[in-house]
Amino acid sequence: MTATSPTQAPSTADTAINNIKGNEEPEVADKGAETETETDAEEYDDNGIIDHTTFDQLLEMDDEEDHEFSRSLVWNYFEQAEKTFVDMNDAMEKLDFPDLSRLGHFLKGSSAALGLTKVKESCEKLQHYGNRKDAAGVESITNEEAETLIRALLVQMRREYNEAESYLKVFYDGQE
Amino acid sequence: MSSTLSSSPSSPSSPIISSSCPSTFSMPMPASITPPGSPPSPTMSVDSINGLNALRLDSPLELDQLRKIKVMIVDDNSINLSILSRMLEKHFTDVIQRTVIMTSGVEALKRLATEEFDLILMDIDMPVLTGVQTTVAIRQNSSECPVLEHNQNVPIIAVTTSDGAEQRELYQQVGMSDCVSKPIVLSTLRSAIEGAMKARG
Repeated sequence: MTATSPTQAPSTADTAINNIKGNEEPEVADKGAETETETDAEEYDDNGIIDHTTFDQLLEMDDEEDHEFSRSLVWNYFEQAEKTFVDMNDAMEKLDFPDLSRLGHFLKGSSAALGLTKVKESCEKLQHYGNRKDAAGVESITNEEAETLIRALLVQMRREYNEAESYLKVFYDGQE
Repeated sequence: MSSTLSSSPSSPSSPIISSSCPSTFSMPMPASITPPGSPPSPTMSVDSINGLNALRLDSPLELDQLRKIKVMIVDDNSINLSILSRMLEKHFTDVIQRTVIMTSGVEALKRLATEEFDLILMDIDMPVLTGVQTTVAIRQNSSECPVLEHNQNVPIIAVTTSDGAEQRELYQQVGMSDCVSKPIVLSTLRSAIEGAMKARG
């Protein structure tokens, strides 16, 4: 399967998103960082960014000599996520809640497949808010509430994605 | 395979929209469909030609199913497609001859009208035609939306995050043989595939 090119010039929309990125520095360059919950230490040794059970299964599918498969997969994910964030911001401007829900669900799938826990959970919230439900997907919320929640969530999701992206780039840099 | 997917405006619960297939998907087939008999495979002669031991103690397949299968994967998310096809490529070469990848239910139906498959791994939440709607169309095999006769009762396994009890029951009702949760656990996938292929026989 041909890997999609990992490099892509950011669009102007991306620049707008980048302006609200906040702190871009990788927060978990040191993989030996303290965990928040010791009981989850086996799976979450990096503040819950990556579910290693899932991610390791992907690494196991790499050929022994290199990490070409998982690396190209992860870079495809970066590309997909960047495009999805653009679409999310477009949908937000139009207050297109169904589309926001659909986009949340879409990115949730691939985030979950890579074991990106926090991003996945935010995507799931977006899915619910877009359906005018609360974070658990149970109670109904108003359009105004949904709008407020989604605006904040998109910022949070972007931060969580940046964190995951940094972590993964450090990981693959270390594989050279 | 391109990872650039066009944004589709339809929501998951929208009515069926298709230019080539009708919207008469209101009568799901019962789950107790009897699949047509598989064409007899010349297993014994193949075995003797290849000098294979007729007793394959390590194979989960019945003797008459030694023929490797052709699989279709359907998912609108290219990441999921990459992972699943790699899993099949890495871990299922003992049972799978060839894997074909489709990125939508519409494309899957088109392909099923011209090419025979032995198994479909079907994502559920897709725009335009969901996995359930696609399955119903396959099982109905209507004149407006035909598939090859061989494909009408092809085993279909749902591969999805929508794996609650109610949803699993729906998948069964429309004629899917199993449901594998995402993210996929290899052993679960293997059980589901083996189960589907055994039931086919």
